[in-house]
Amino acid sequence: MESVQHALSFLAVSTIAVGCTAPGSSMSFGSSSNTAQNAVAQQDQITRGRYLVVTHDCGGCHGGGSDPASTRWLTGVKDSLDEFHIGPFITRPKNLTPDNTTGIGRFSERQIFNSLRYGLRPEETPDVEITSTTPGQGNFPAHPHYLAPPMPWMAWRHMPDQDLWAIAAYLKNGVKPVRNKVADSEGPPDFWASEMTPDKIGAYPVAPFPTANERR
Amino acid sequence: MLHPLRLLAVLPLSLSLVAVSAPRERVRALPKRDAEPPALINISKKPNTVEVNITASVTTLSLVPGVNSEVFAYNGHVPGPTLDVREGDHVIVHFHNHLPEPTTVHWHGIHLPFESDGSPFYPIKPGESHDYEFTIRPGTAGTYWYHPHPDRRTGFAIGKGLFGAIVVHAADDPLPATISERLLVLSDNRFLQDGSIDFPDAASASGGIDEENGREGPVLFVNGHVMPTLSIRRGEVQRWRIINASAGRIYRIALAGHTMLHIGSDGGLFETPREVKELLLTTGERVEVLIRGTDSAGTKALLQDLPYDRYAPQTRPKDWKKTLDLLTLETTDEASVAPIAIPAHLRTVPPLDTTKATAVRTVVFGQGMINGKTMDMARVDVSTRVGATEIWEIENVVGMDHPFHLHGFQFQVLDRDGVAEPYRSWKDMLNIPKHSTARIIVRYDDYPGKWMFHCHILDHEDHGMMGVLEVRQ
Repeated sequence: MESVQHALSFLAVSTIAVGCTAPGSSMSFGSSSNTAQNAVAQQDQITRGRYLVVTHDCGGCHGGGSDPASTRWLTGVKDSLDEFHIGPFITRPKNLTPDNTTGIGRFSERQIFNSLRYGLRPEETPDVEITSTTPGQGNFPAHPHYLAPPMPWMAWRHMPDQDLWAIAAYLKNGVKPVRNKVADSEGPPDFWASEMTPDKIGAYPVAPFPTANERR
Repeated sequence: MLHPLRLLAVLPLSLSLVAVSAPRERVRALPKRDAEPPALINISKKPNTVEVNITASVTTLSLVPGVNSEVFAYNGHVPGPTLDVREGDHVIVHFHNHLPEPTTVHWHGIHLPFESDGSPFYPIKPGESHDYEFTIRPGTAGTYWYHPHPDRRTGFAIGKGLFGAIVVHAADDPLPATISERLLVLSDNRFLQDGSIDFPDAASASGGIDEENGREGPVLFVNGHVMPTLSIRRGEVQRWRIINASAGRIYRIALAGHTMLHIGSDGGLFETPREVKELLLTTGERVEVLIRGTDSAGTKALLQDLPYDRYAPQTRPKDWKKTLDLLTLETTDEASVAPIAIPAHLRTVPPLDTTKATAVRTVVFGQGMINGKTMDMARVDVSTRVGATEIWEIENVVGMDHPFHLHGFQFQVLDRDGVAEPYRSWKDMLNIPKHSTARIIVRYDDYPGKWMFHCHILDHEDHGMMGVLEVRQ
């Protein structure tokens, strides 16, 4: 009960802190005159991101379980036991720490946001605001490369913008970089594009409440 | 039977020698070049001037024996005729576009005025002609090539057959003039049953694979021939200039049973030769090597393309581990040739001064993008001034190789993944392997303009993996 209240208060704070879909999250407060307040806002955003990462079990696949104190916290695949066999393909949870060469350090927060919202591999996703989910339109790549299964982005993409920005801010700024090179995942030549069509993963955003399965 | 490390026997003899004085006129062993593209004919009577005509047109050629293919060709040949020039020559190319689409001619690797670079900024419309004019700068002796560079159509145009070699001879070449030279232009292609060159629809499955990997074909050509046989005399040393004109294939070349003496790269000779068993030749890249014939007549050795995994796991071809044959080198029973001395010092390659660097540029290769952006000819990605020295840190963050090419200026490699480059050379092509970083240094000498830098996997280039470097006066 206490943690739920916590979450709600964080949500309220981060809404103020981030405001909207402005890219760069923690860095986009250049116009404010009070840097101390900005630092507090950024710390709140990072704490919010940490909460979301823990409760969404990112560490279940990417390392460390739900324990940020674990030496393997978000450092990615260590051995073949951590790999997934998806049909004939082996997929590997990546190093999510901000190491520049082996982790997510070289990606912008917007690339991480785009990855969580649209399932696009950050290294193969433009560092621009995406305004469409139709390939080739609104900066959505004509030939999208999706994150390999079982990454459940198709569910988590429905989080509000500020939550996704908070996760990006936490991964970039709230975790220490750890060097651990993870081999690329395998997959079909279309990088799972044929599996990520709206009829298979549902629409974004979800249909208005109530649908035929729901009631008020 | 074959003789690995044979060249070692030649080298120690030479180490004590000072470079022999090179003659002004080099002896060309013409009969040995008969498998090579013809040379462009110089119509100028003026000294130090090379004036040639090049026409690009649609024609029908038999690339694979017994099958006719519709191709694009320079002066009716695939590869096009070789532009053979010397340092200091003034070059005038009267170019005529008889193709049904706009084109340009890019003089890949040559240091020349921006207007003559044949970049997509200066398209030549169907039916139009254009004179390219430039002077070959001293110190640029080496092996280069020319090919179209139109907006979004480079891969198609080169795949249809538009590529040719440029050989720039030194005013003062350190290698003995008696060495015979061979030019090897490597290309690959893919054909349909009716002989036409296979360019699948971009929306099809194989079109998608081409776009990811860069278009490759199972048929390998050397100077437009499938598996030619080259001859070498017993003990003879030949100088091979090898050009990778393929759209996407990276060659890992080895001459079975032989070592090679690697003497030069894109922008000409190294300071000292390096003995190697194999060489990686990325797209657009060139090497110069010395090859030594065995001591017994009738010996045959294959020049091969060994497996090299440049691919992302998703689109790696199933047969990528197959070794492919390029040509047969046969030792003839002609009189053997006395060993020649190969100078231990070829020339001086002065280092660019890192302390003079005024900027460090970060170039991140993602899939189909540079620094998260696709090509926009109206945008300037890097802005600098003539004469400035800069360091570029080129990082490949994806799981497949991307070959980097800079127009107009030769650069030097400082290090790869933090490991200092063991030798100095002038480069305009550099393979950036998957998940790796290289640092290069470049000085923008002489020529202002808007220069391209891009991935030289042509399908990637054509889909926007390219940027604009503006060098201001």
